[in-house]
Amino acid sequence: MNWSDIGTIAPVVASVLVAAAILIVDLALPNRRQAVIATALGGLGVVAAVILLQAGHAGSAFGGAYSLDNLTVFLDAIFVAIAVLTILFGVDYIEPRGLPIAEFAAILVFAVTGAMLIAGSTDLVLLFVALELMVLPGYVLAGFARRDPYSTEGAIKYFLLGSFSSAILLFGLAYVWGITGTTRVDGVAAALAKVAAGGSIQPGLAMGLAFMSAGVAFKMAAVPFHYWTPDAYQGSPTPITAYLSVGPKVGAFAIALRLFVGALGPLRADWLPVVIVLAAVTMTLGNLVAISQDNVKRMLAYSSIAHTGYILVGLAAYAGGQHSGLSAILFYGAAYTFMNMGAFAVVAALQRQPGVSSQIATFAGLGRRDPWLGALMAVFLLSLTGIPPLAGFWAKAYVILAAVQAGGWLTALAVLAMVNAAAAAFYYLRVVVYMYMREPAEELRPSSPGLLFRVGLGVTCVLTVVFGLFPAIATAATNAAGVFGG
Amino acid sequence: MSGSLDSYLVLSGLLFAIGTFGFLARRNAISMLMSIELMLNAVNLTVVAFGAFVPALKTHAAVIALLVIAVAAAEATVGLALVMAIYRNRKTPLVDEYDSMSE
Repeated sequence: MNWSDIGTIAPVVASVLVAAAILIVDLALPNRRQAVIATALGGLGVVAAVILLQAGHAGSAFGGAYSLDNLTVFLDAIFVAIAVLTILFGVDYIEPRGLPIAEFAAILVFAVTGAMLIAGSTDLVLLFVALELMVLPGYVLAGFARRDPYSTEGAIKYFLLGSFSSAILLFGLAYVWGITGTTRVDGVAAALAKVAAGGSIQPGLAMGLAFMSAGVAFKMAAVPFHYWTPDAYQGSPTPITAYLSVGPKVGAFAIALRLFVGALGPLRADWLPVVIVLAAVTMTLGNLVAISQDNVKRMLAYSSIAHTGYILVGLAAYAGGQHSGLSAILFYGAAYTFMNMGAFAVVAALQRQPGVSSQIATFAGLGRRDPWLGALMAVFLLSLTGIPPLAGFWAKAYVILAAVQAGGWLTALAVLAMVNAAAAAFYYLRVVVYMYMREPAEELRPSSPGLLFRVGLGVTCVLTVVFGLFPAIATAATNAAGVFGG
Repeated sequence: MSGSLDSYLVLSGLLFAIGTFGFLARRNAISMLMSIELMLNAVNLTVVAFGAFVPALKTHAAVIALLVIAVAAAEATVGLALVMAIYRNRKTPLVDEYDSMSE
């Protein structure tokens, strides 16, 4: 180890320091919530600056265990944005419920540190440790409202299935390492390239790869490994649901990029059928179950499963030989992050007063009661549906385009994705119908969220619209980030 | 060293399978947590066995095993804390009674 290694992982180091600073400020100045929030937001601003300074640079640290490339910078930037938005949305929700804001911010920053470490990991063991650093604080956050039975119930289910899948992933890693003799992603790729050339694969290695894939599928909530998602999302405090629906999800796809593309790239023709089936089943089942949900949080949970399916279409396109599938995944990740966080944030705004449910009836008459919130929710839902000219449209378009270009069975998958997008319009637009065309059963007071919350909503909405009107802004970054390792 | 790599791998594979079965079959959250620990320790046995029989992997194996122990400890801490939190709300450790959200 030397100082240049520290420079390469500077964003991760800075992020850990921010989390520590939040705890120290809370200890030194108890009951000064403004100081805590200012430390968290200012610190994350510094982390963002460090990430931007690294843009365009490349390098590796700790003997190749950590790589700095365009992909690392792109994903780091998304993760920091997620952390900032979660804090902006969280304050208004956490405070009326008497939950500690400093712990919330510190645990969140630790989780995001793990996600940032995943983004640059090119070593199996580092990847696993980074994954655990991301998900362990996630379990705590899910159960953050510890006197709320729903929150703890969602958390325990998230924890049990999450650590079960971690054990499966680790078992796979142990075999891959034991048989290829290396933990480096490029070393594994070289060993697998020999296998691909030779034609036969050792049973132990095949088993290891299968276990590893199942573990990753659990983390990204692909059907049939999705059972934890609805309860974890519905039970968690709503701003934390907003985080859980994007942070660990983009993190899981970061693992997929580093692992499937970086390490398993040479065997991609072999895992293509698996990804096609996973993508098809995931988006179809996610959408079908979402249609019958009356709770908007639960509906958005199933919708996030469907979006996993669409992102998997991009991975399938890569496996089918179309490299643009990777840029499509990254664009989808960025667009999905902002529109999905925005949608959950509107739910959080309505639930600002403790006791308000996330049932669809709460949305009746929102268009008249709270015209701004209603309009924002409509934008986010239309974007999630994939209506042009919003970010969600281009996200789906790029993924589907990459699949069509790859051809073969992927054309059928692209058609299925389009059918699914059309079917999904039903349950997204149902909320819009409630907001503008239904009379509320009881008159609710307009929820007037605080300044931080409004800034967060403004940022997510502007980005959702800007990525839709000028997708070239984002595609320049995603095209650069889509070229790495494999 | 007696035995072969294969016999140790079979042993750790059986332990992992027992852990998986325990996780899927048990209803008590604490038992499920114990099953997960068993799975992680089975992984550790795999790692140490590879290290003992493949000379090139010896140092790797020690480091990986230590990391796995640390991660398992962190996981057990978070898990027990969550089990205690939900026990205070529900007064039961049986996971199939945690069904207030499914419709």
